Amino acid sequence: MSWSTTLPLLIVGSSLLPGLAIFFLSEERVVSRTILNLTGAFLKLVLVGAMLWGVSHGHHYETRLPLLPELDLVLRAGPLAMLFVTLSAGLWLVTTVYAIGYLEGSPHRSRFFGFFSLCVTATVGVALAGNLLTFLLFYELLTLSTYPLIIHRGTEESRRAGRVYLIYTIAGGALLLLATVWLYTLTGTLEFTVRGFLSELDTSLHPTLIIIFVLLIAGLGVKAALIPLHGWLPQAMVAPAPVSALLHAVAVVKAGAFGIVRIVYDVFGIEFTASLGLTLPLAILAASTVIYGSLRALFQDDLKRRLAFSTVSQVSYIVLGVAIVGPIATIGGLVHLVHQGVQKITLFFCAGNLAETLGIHKISEMNGVGRRMPWTMAAFTVGAFGMIGAPPLAGFVSKWYLGLGALDAGQSWVMIILAGSSLLNAAYFLPILHVAWFKAPPDSWPMERSFGRHETAWALLAPPMVTAILVLVLGLLASAPFSPLEWARLITTREFAP
Amino acid sequence: MTGAFMSIPWVVILIMLPLAGAMACFLYPAKSKSLGLVVALAIFASVSGLGFQLVELGAQRYTVGGWGAPLGIDLYVDGLSLLMLAVTALVGLGVSTYASSYFDHPKAIHFWPLWLFLWSALNALFLSADIFNLYVTLELMGLGAVALVALAGGANALAGAMRYLLVSLLGSLAYLLGVALLYHSFGSVDIVMLSQHIEPSPAALAAVGLMSTGLLLKTALFPLHFWLPPAHASAPAPVSALLSALVVKASFYILLRLWLEIFPLAGASFGQLLGLLGAGAVLWGGIQALRQTRLKLLIAYSTVSQLGYLFLAFPLGTSIAWKGAIYMLLSHAMAKAAMFIAAGNILRSDGHDRIADLDRLAQRLPLTVTAFALAGVSIMGLPPSGGFIAKWMLLEASIRSGQWWWGVVLIVGGLLAAAYIFKVIGHAFTQSEQPHEAGLLPTRMEWAALALALVAILLGLFTTVPFALLEIGLPFDKGRAG
Amino acid sequence: MNEIMTAFLLISTPGLPLLLAIPALRLPLPWSVHIALLPATVLLFVPGSPAIKLPWILWGGVGLGIDEASRWWLAMSVMIWIAAAILLRTHADHSNNNSPRLTTLILLTLAGQIGAILATDMASFFTFMTLMGYAFVSLMILDGDKKVHRAGQLYLVLLVFADIVLFEALLIAAASTEILEFAAVARAIAQSTSPALYLSMAIIGFTLKAGLWPLHVWLPPTYGSARPAVALLLWVVPVATGLLGALRWMPLGVISAPVPGALLQAIGTATILYAVLFGLIRVQRKLLPAYVAIVATGGFVMGLGTGLIYPAVWNQYGSWAPVFVALVGIGLAIMIASFVWLEKMGFSSSVSNNVSGVVLWIERWPKATIIWKRLSGIDYVPKLLAAWIARWGELWQSHAWHRAFDVGEYLLQRWAFALTLFLLLGMVSVVLLLP
Repeated sequence: MSWSTTLPLLIVGSSLLPGLAIFFLSEERVVSRTILNLTGAFLKLVLVGAMLWGVSHGHHYETRLPLLPELDLVLRAGPLAMLFVTLSAGLWLVTTVYAIGYLEGSPHRSRFFGFFSLCVTATVGVALAGNLLTFLLFYELLTLSTYPLIIHRGTEESRRAGRVYLIYTIAGGALLLLATVWLYTLTGTLEFTVRGFLSELDTSLHPTLIIIFVLLIAGLGVKAALIPLHGWLPQAMVAPAPVSALLHAVAVVKAGAFGIVRIVYDVFGIEFTASLGLTLPLAILAASTVIYGSLRALFQDDLKRRLAFSTVSQVSYIVLGVAIVGPIATIGGLVHLVHQGVQKITLFFCAGNLAETLGIHKISEMNGVGRRMPWTMAAFTVGAFGMIGAPPLAGFVSKWYLGLGALDAGQSWVMIILAGSSLLNAAYFLPILHVAWFKAPPDSWPMERSFGRHETAWALLAPPMVTAILVLVLGLLASAPFSPLEWARLITTREFAP
Repeated sequence: MTGAFMSIPWVVILIMLPLAGAMACFLYPAKSKSLGLVVALAIFASVSGLGFQLVELGAQRYTVGGWGAPLGIDLYVDGLSLLMLAVTALVGLGVSTYASSYFDHPKAIHFWPLWLFLWSALNALFLSADIFNLYVTLELMGLGAVALVALAGGANALAGAMRYLLVSLLGSLAYLLGVALLYHSFGSVDIVMLSQHIEPSPAALAAVGLMSTGLLLKTALFPLHFWLPPAHASAPAPVSALLSALVVKASFYILLRLWLEIFPLAGASFGQLLGLLGAGAVLWGGIQALRQTRLKLLIAYSTVSQLGYLFLAFPLGTSIAWKGAIYMLLSHAMAKAAMFIAAGNILRSDGHDRIADLDRLAQRLPLTVTAFALAGVSIMGLPPSGGFIAKWMLLEASIRSGQWWWGVVLIVGGLLAAAYIFKVIGHAFTQSEQPHEAGLLPTRMEWAALALALVAILLGLFTTVPFALLEIGLPFDKGRAG
Repeated sequence: MNEIMTAFLLISTPGLPLLLAIPALRLPLPWSVHIALLPATVLLFVPGSPAIKLPWILWGGVGLGIDEASRWWLAMSVMIWIAAAILLRTHADHSNNNSPRLTTLILLTLAGQIGAILATDMASFFTFMTLMGYAFVSLMILDGDKKVHRAGQLYLVLLVFADIVLFEALLIAAASTEILEFAAVARAIAQSTSPALYLSMAIIGFTLKAGLWPLHVWLPPTYGSARPAVALLLWVVPVATGLLGALRWMPLGVISAPVPGALLQAIGTATILYAVLFGLIRVQRKLLPAYVAIVATGGFVMGLGTGLIYPAVWNQYGSWAPVFVALVGIGLAIMIASFVWLEKMGFSSSVSNNVSGVVLWIERWPKATIIWKRLSGIDYVPKLLAAWIARWGELWQSHAWHRAFDVGEYLLQRWAFALTLFLLLGMVSVVLLLP
């Protein structure tokens, strides 16, 4: 029972145990609940930091538990895992603070935070999974733990939204299970290996492998919101804002995209995938999603729905980066995983602030809100410009690498897609900024809550400020050591080295 | 100490103890609750003891009264029997705990003797080594179960019990006919002897057919499942739990034993028929469950559907398939018991079990809803649960053997299960038109459900022990490819 | 020691305005814009060509520095900014209470513009230029006047397109070379096989930014109706910086590209002709600077085009380009200042109220599209999906379906049926078992 075998398990447990404990707290025990929440979040961050330090010094961390005959549950720390785990742990802390402020006075908070912690447990498990079985296990656990968050409000509307969510995700999970078992019967192993473990298989199996790939992408594409499997995402906006923030930035959508990254790099291997002729269709699918999501976002008036479609569009950048066979595009896709998460969570935090403080849900109600809530709108501006890809913010860096990678790999049509998408992003984000900063405010807001001198509660204001600053720092200091860009470079050199 | 420990005849204790307990409860009705609980704990301890003995010494035979086969009664224990005994003990312990709070005094007097008698019959069934003994214990079990169903009183329960009785007798009759044919042909009722002497003569095949049909009726395989929903839904909650979890599994266990030991001579097409009927059960039961508006009926149809999964192992026939089916049996027993107990809690607290009116049950009875949800996770076959492990193994077996259509049935069944489970859970979180008050239930009742559901989940995480136990005695490699 | 001082000076030149742009930080300081210009002024007098490289920024290779050409630019900018700052103070009293936002935006624009001048590589130039562009557009939109507002919206659209095109150009440049310093890029483009794509993109991008014909329509209204400080900045900020960008990004003097060069010459000529024919002749006094600016821009672009065609010519006369720009800038500033003085003296001039048709069209068309789309609800995929789900729901609800299942169960429960099935099963089993 050494440190190297238990650390992954501890990281997963650092949110599981507080979560289970929170379930048993009664509604009024606010202080205990807050303490448990924050302790868990800080602990996880500390443990992840320790693991980061260890991995960068060449230590190996792996936990193995036997699950099936000849198949184990494996939690392993590698560079790709660290990328996602750090994102999850960091953003979980921020979202916990936000959720504490947002749900002040709402009913059923213990239940909410319990499932919240379970959700993060599942996300971290997805990140640290060392083979496809473990990945599948935590992936389904993610579905199970996010469903109660979506139906948290207890209205008919949320129940129906939850039902749509389940239809998509459980079907996706079933496809994933089928594909995983099939793959196992062919190869006898499911461990994630750099550059994949399928290239030595007999060529007669290649058609089967193509079918398995399609099934895997379909199963993962549900959560990653690839068209036409994205229908659940706008519906899930009925959940409270912290849930939307977590779902869209960190947990569900990223888990799907991360899964696709794992499949292409660590199961099939990028060279093998390209030789099977699968990368071009995947790239086309991702590109179509990018454009489609942006188009739909353009026509929404509800703020959260617009952000939802924006997520659909942006997450496909990651898949696009993966599908373009080349190291630079890979860096772009991987680093976008982190950058998009931070940007999107900023936007959702701000949307939640607007809804919670002023009762604003639609963009047409946002006239002049920049005067009433300047800090929130400043954070929103930073996030929006990041999405558009304005330098020196985080989104610029990832778009840069994606474009450069496309040129490098000879796929110049991607540049047109990137250009079009940036244009559409500007088209649906700039009007929001214009309305908020330059129009005159109405006489009264739909439903105002006063917070004294401050524009809103500090727990609601601090998280978006922190993440907005992070957007700036991630973009500006992208070449600093330990930045996501450097990690992405590290992962890519391993994958593409001869 | 270990030596003495090892030489205690746990098998005999496992049969005698509940019988003694039943009699004691009958004689001292005032103390029946505490007696029942004590006996349950003792049986649990005995099973653990038997487990240690098994691990040390391997599969064992015990001759009762020194009179061995071919005419005497032998008791045989291997890994499979131990697992069945363990499941019975766990479910029994949980249900006993629950029943001690559920039943008030008049009913309790009748419940405990009947239940302990049923338990004894179950234990004896799992330990029997010859087919006639199996018949006897099957009949006793059936009678006990019928009586328990009728315990609720009222026209529905009595009608259901009556139907159950007739069905049970019909099935046992068919089985007995088969036993007679086999005894006549081969001169023995002992399973081991039969497996050595049997040949595919017409009489033997007819016996096999008859026995199988009788057992299929008792296991409620589609389309002979009609008696199950009324019986399980109208019985009191602890009884429904026992029936769905244990009683129907007993006849399946017999079928499994016979198939593995005596029936290797059967052709592949019979296995395909069983698989086909199992697939039908999965789909029919799943859709029917989705249509139900009352919770207990939903759970009963869910049993019909899950039982179909068990029969998918027959056309596949590999060792992985058998292990998957048995794992499915184990986890389903725990999960279904938990579900019925949860339903009983809801019925007790709200006075009805209409699904559409569950009204924020997640706030009022959080432990119950959690138990239901966790049990549902196992039923759906989602990780991390025993049901997932079983589903994985069956899927693997179906893909490996090239009969991928059973895999499709598994997946579709899982989707249907998800549909009806989440229907209930969705309503449990949502406000309905008529608000309900917060219920007050003894904590024991809620925790019994939760504990059983947790075991179903833990079966999905700690899999080494059950699989290791299954290896003892290795019943899977005789005659069929592993 | 010297290096640290230089580094500090170079960083604080764009950095100080950035810091001061945060309202909370400048509250106690009265003349924030003037203070923000201090490092730039000091830098003007530092001899030589100091330059630094900044580590960790973006993907490496980012730097700030000043050289001969940019010194002229910096000088002109500093002078005009000081004038704008003075004008801002004198008019601050009788403008609306936009003061804090106005100052923030001015400082951001300043930071972006000065940073763009100091940038030594394409990435940082692009960064500062974007900051400057958006801040300046916000300034235009913030203005109370409707016409300026419209012009600002138009310029925003142009800016977005320009930024995208320039980003693509940047990518093409990066594909041919690792280091993005201007000199290195120029060499790399010269050696690459098809510089035409890069050149055309750069041309398009900077055309959009600098207000060349035919996309100059936003310039006249802004000159006419904006507050004087903003009008003063119009040359310095969008136009001149655009021209600086064109100057830097295009590998002048290194290669000869006849086609793009000719294109540039054509645009330049057309601009001058248009401005002279349509502008200067009919113009009101207030709009005069606009057309002068357009003419000057056209001239500059013509020069660029010539330089592209004949690199030798550029190498000889190219160093006059910054001087030209600076002189034009100062001239325009004097013109505008004199108009302000004239106005104070009481010679007011009216500006005509007809808004350019193009502006209106560009403004109305996107809004109309969006409204039309929403009204007609052309969301094919969701509609199809909704229809399909509704039909599925109907199917589920339909009584026939449920009745089928009910009947099935009912039949199965009839004893006759059940017994028949039972016996049937028995017979089938036996039959199947027979070999």
